[in-house]
Amino acid sequence: MSNLAVLPILLPLLAGIFLAFIHKKTKLVRTLSKAFAIINLLVVGWIFMQVRDNGNIVLEMGSWDAPFGIVLVADLLAMTLVLTTNIIAVASVFFAPQSLSKKEESFYFYTFFFMLISGVSGAFLTGDLFNLFVFFEVLLMASYGLIVLGNGKAQLRESIKYVLINLFSSMLFVTTIAFLYSVVGTVNMAQAAQRVQEVDQQGILTTIAILFFFVFATKAAVFPLYYWLPRPYISPNPVVSALFGALLTKVGVYSILRTFTLIFNHEVELTHTLFIYLAALTMIFGVVGALSTNNIKLIVAYNIIPAVGFMLMGIGIFTEVSITGTIYYLVHDMVIKGALFILVGATAYVAGTSDLRKMGGLIHHYPVLGWLMFLASLVLAGIPPFSGFIGKLLLLRGGLGEEEIFIVIIALISSLLILFSMIRIFIRGYWGEKMDIPVPDREKKGKRMAIPAAGLLTVSILLGVGAEWFFPTIETIAQYIMDPELYIDSVLKE
Amino acid sequence: MEIIMAVLAGILFTMGVYNLLQKQLLRIIIGTGLISHGAHLFILTMGELKTGAPPVLTEGVENYTDPLPQALILTSIVISFGVTSLLLVLAYRAAKINGTDNMEQLRGNDYE
Amino acid sequence: MLVAVLLPFIIAIFIPFLSKWKEKIHTGFFVTIVPVLIFIYFARFLGAGFEPVVHEYSWIPSLDMNMVFHLDGLSLLFVLLISGIGALVAFYSVFYLHKSEQLGHFYVYFLIFMGSMLGVVLSDNVFALYSFWEFTSLSSFLLIGFWNYKKESRYGALKSMLITVFGGLSLLGALIFMSVLTNTSSIRGMIDQQQLILNSEFFPLILVLLLLGAFTKSAQFPFHIWLPDAMEAPTPVSAYLHSATMVKAGIYLVARYSPMLSANEWFFIIVSMAGIITLCWGSYMAVRQTDLKGILAFSTISQLGMIMAMLGFGTKAAIFGAVFHILNHATFKGSLFMVAGIVDHEAGTRDIRKLGGLMTFMPMTATLALFGSFSMAGVPLPFLNGFYSKEMFFESSLHLEAASTGIAGILQTSVPYLAVFGSIFTFVYSMYFFFGTFRGQSHLNELPKKPHEAPIGMLISPIVLVAGVVIIGLFPSVINEPFIAHAAEAVKGAALEEKHIYFWHGFIPPFIMSLTVLVFGSILALSRKVWAPVYNVVPGVLSMNKVYDGTVDRVERYSTTITKGYMNGSLGRYVRLILAAIIVISFAFMAITGGFTLDTSNVAEITAPEILVAVTMVIAAIGTALTNNRIAAILILGVVGYGLSMLFVLYRAPDLALTQLIVETVTVALFLLVFYHLPKLRKKEEPVSTKALNLVISVGFGALMTMVAISSHSSKFFESISDYFTKNSYKLGGGDNIVNVILVDFRGLDTLFEIVVLGIAAMAIYGLIRFRKNKEEE
Repeated sequence: MSNLAVLPILLPLLAGIFLAFIHKKTKLVRTLSKAFAIINLLVVGWIFMQVRDNGNIVLEMGSWDAPFGIVLVADLLAMTLVLTTNIIAVASVFFAPQSLSKKEESFYFYTFFFMLISGVSGAFLTGDLFNLFVFFEVLLMASYGLIVLGNGKAQLRESIKYVLINLFSSMLFVTTIAFLYSVVGTVNMAQAAQRVQEVDQQGILTTIAILFFFVFATKAAVFPLYYWLPRPYISPNPVVSALFGALLTKVGVYSILRTFTLIFNHEVELTHTLFIYLAALTMIFGVVGALSTNNIKLIVAYNIIPAVGFMLMGIGIFTEVSITGTIYYLVHDMVIKGALFILVGATAYVAGTSDLRKMGGLIHHYPVLGWLMFLASLVLAGIPPFSGFIGKLLLLRGGLGEEEIFIVIIALISSLLILFSMIRIFIRGYWGEKMDIPVPDREKKGKRMAIPAAGLLTVSILLGVGAEWFFPTIETIAQYIMDPELYIDSVLKE
Repeated sequence: MEIIMAVLAGILFTMGVYNLLQKQLLRIIIGTGLISHGAHLFILTMGELKTGAPPVLTEGVENYTDPLPQALILTSIVISFGVTSLLLVLAYRAAKINGTDNMEQLRGNDYE
Repeated sequence: MLVAVLLPFIIAIFIPFLSKWKEKIHTGFFVTIVPVLIFIYFARFLGAGFEPVVHEYSWIPSLDMNMVFHLDGLSLLFVLLISGIGALVAFYSVFYLHKSEQLGHFYVYFLIFMGSMLGVVLSDNVFALYSFWEFTSLSSFLLIGFWNYKKESRYGALKSMLITVFGGLSLLGALIFMSVLTNTSSIRGMIDQQQLILNSEFFPLILVLLLLGAFTKSAQFPFHIWLPDAMEAPTPVSAYLHSATMVKAGIYLVARYSPMLSANEWFFIIVSMAGIITLCWGSYMAVRQTDLKGILAFSTISQLGMIMAMLGFGTKAAIFGAVFHILNHATFKGSLFMVAGIVDHEAGTRDIRKLGGLMTFMPMTATLALFGSFSMAGVPLPFLNGFYSKEMFFESSLHLEAASTGIAGILQTSVPYLAVFGSIFTFVYSMYFFFGTFRGQSHLNELPKKPHEAPIGMLISPIVLVAGVVIIGLFPSVINEPFIAHAAEAVKGAALEEKHIYFWHGFIPPFIMSLTVLVFGSILALSRKVWAPVYNVVPGVLSMNKVYDGTVDRVERYSTTITKGYMNGSLGRYVRLILAAIIVISFAFMAITGGFTLDTSNVAEITAPEILVAVTMVIAAIGTALTNNRIAAILILGVVGYGLSMLFVLYRAPDLALTQLIVETVTVALFLLVFYHLPKLRKKEEPVSTKALNLVISVGFGALMTMVAISSHSSKFFESISDYFTKNSYKLGGGDNIVNVILVDFRGLDTLFEIVVLGIAAMAIYGLIRFRKNKEEE
């Protein structure tokens, strides 16, 4: 049974390798990719249910006992995120043929795509720090492959910055792992947690913790480490943007969540208070960025940042309620960012520009896209009863429960500004006088692009209106996370 | 000795970062090269240096140096190599298409 | 009851299909049925023996978000208003909106609004209430933007959304806060445990947040500015949302919470003051308007202020008056909006400067307007309901229960004067509205259309409302006992003693105040042209619109400035900022936690070869930054790499040394290959300050890493897990070379994915080199 834990990593890996061999046969590859993605989703869904009903699945790779070998820990948090990842994957794989040129598809798009999914899933599942680094590299390398796909002028320019920043943070990551290894003599997360606890996170350990935080925060785009994010995210093809926006920063958030609830949770006064301040700054600068531009893709890209602020806020407050909020928000944000990037991609495609000042009246030609955009903006801003609201409600409850008034007020103000920044797309781009369509022959494709976004939005709305179905699971995860012994015991079996 | 090695690795990081802050692409990439060298040296230093024989089992030898950091470095070296190669090709293509390798001229603006 | 609330939403889903036949049957007919049914459902509850009803439906019980509908007197008043006026407005809209409009959209928004508004006034669960609350804001946004091809429409829609959603979020903050304090999300539950809230140190914050929510929604000064711009919506919408129902949601909220909040003196101060100022400012500004709907908008603002002020007074008489006026206002203002719509429809303009003398052409409409506006003015006639509630307002302003010292005291003394002042202007704009439109000189040649009487269908709804005005005026006690008294009791939170409404109280102060209003009002109305220039001076300074426009504009502009300031695309800048943050914060943490330790007990000895290699590497590393020769720089990098492999040899890591040698060689080769295509290295032209900054940052970062490394090495708290590998490498892994066994066996997964990384890199490089866009795609 325990071998199940490797499937979410292995299946996309094999799919990716297989598709690399037949990359020239675009039509076949498309069909197969869809099939693989769906199969993968089903398998992951099944594993998710296994984990939910029977508890953690811990797989010791090569049967080497933890902590000596590498362990994969399929707990409910990891599986929830893997499941969400695969939902995004299915939507993206349906969006890809509409958005990419045939040629781009044939240059290993689907291989990169599945490798990315594999790497992301691996990062969620692994219980070993160095292995986490390796999976980071897998997903980064796949993202490098995706970001340069198409070789556009601006694209290459932004890619360099993206690669360089990530290369730097990877090197910092691997060095920091070595530091931790020196102090606690292990790279297994459960054992590290146990040992850090034994010495009460004394001495240099908190500084090491902060270095880890910076490594993950660079990926997660926390203030003041997000500068690299917005433009590289919008320069590649929309489908790539959707994948990046939905998945990559969330891996960073997940890593912060995991390490700072499992391993480094003994200096909460210091580290987690820092998070609250950074969360506030992240929200403010994020929305300010989103308001600063008329480029619709950039608006959405900037909106990644305040969302990260919300999640970090929950980690910083560090109560069961707030962690529940963070996880709920994490899942919500993955889904809605996927949908939004697809939608702005489609909007820019049908309008022939991503400059808001050159748009107007699109709703008369593309009502479906327009209303989806409107709905997605509401979901993002956390208008009830959609998914963003549930997470936000929990976070605010957590914040007020701990009397963190200041961050709550910042969060409320940024919600308003998020809505403002997003609704501008609807008002200025979709409303207005009926104009001649700038690019007339794009109607059919534009409509088809709306389908995957609609799918994701449906998930999002279900997450909100039907919160009763999901909430208990997420709450269980938060309870589980707040008690690191559970994780440690399941891995080290003591 | 470890302290000297730590200082050495620190200097590699320093010079790496200094190069990274320059404008020219080639220099920046050289910077990343230095940083990865520094990182690997740090990993090695974090095991205990010279506490035993090379980690190849030999009869009669009881003490070996810590093998784990070495394994990690190996993995890391290979990965860095992959990234550096990609970066080099990317730099070449980007510089060619954009007509400059000066990062300050590769800023870009919103609408392209 | 759930069905009643959800009915509009459910029907809304079918509207797009129904609107397909709009050429045959106007969609509005279907829509009218919905509120009529709801009205009938709720009308059953009316009666002297009314008892509150609670219906619970679970939704998200684990989050304490449920549909709990609590129908008490206050809710009943609102529910009947919403469904009653809703039915009339829907019917009216059938004649107002032409079939060529996007009827489907209109009625979907309309129904969403109706359902949400019912939800707001019925929900006992605060989170359900908030959900419905935001939906009223959103549907209002969509309705204002219904004619979104007009610039003003888009402006008004955005404005109303920003202001009301701002209030909504503020309300959310208050609601969550209260629910955290009382551990319940039921309004009744909160009021039951009001001491927990009232005694909390955060009470002032809660009060302000809650009132912000209410004031923005109910267009209280200075948040009233969205309402006049909301008049871009089709007139039925203005009549419904922006005078009769949605804008009263804030009033509802204050009324709902007043049993709890009125215990605090600040509630009285803030609410009464806001109400009185709004009353005066709104009525004063109304006289200045030239658009009929503009007059009505400001008049609505001022009337809302009056109701709010009475809620703030908090005495039994005041609350009774407030509740009564909610109903009265809905009747006369609804009819006046419909009249304005008719005038617009039949004469083609709403500009009062072009109108005049229309009584001849549309006598029916004029009659309706006469009743409406005189009731609004509070003219003392027994068949006008507006007079009764105005009288109660005056009366309650004279009998305040509050303290007589401090701000409250000052307020208390000035309230009656301000009340009269505001009412005088109310009188003036009412007269202005009626006489300006229907009497006086007609300017037929300036009108886009030849005016004529409206079709009878269009007149039915205002007739019903005016009938309401008259009936309530003539027989106030008909609705008193079964209806208004219950609502007032719900607001007060206690039983009221028998309250009767009479027309004639005797020659007492309130009546004198009414007469004062009548006299001065008439004088001012007649001499309006003489004193009108005062408007050129006063509103200019106080214009909140400028503040709003300025804020919105500034938010966008400053955002751009700030963001452009640091997000300038320069990699160097980004790295500098990122590193500076890492260095500062990490050092700070190291200092606070006393992280730095130095322990030299377990370090290895220093030998000459290592030093030699190390020194070479240092020189080489520094050399990379100094040389301006490309080949030299690359080769020096190679030196560092080879030095590293030397160190690997010295530190007993043969495999590493080999790998490093090979990788370094290949990398240098690659570098040389690529460099050939890159431009030459130039002399660095940066200013010294930049150089110094770069140096500081890089030295800082190097130092940080070194210090953490030394500390980590000095605090080896635990045995490494490596012993296991050494012991079991041969026994279990079957290999002598421990590193290799780790790589391929103990940590085989790492190695597998390391290869995957290389594979992806190869494909990406292939793509980079071989991919060329087709010509037409460029």
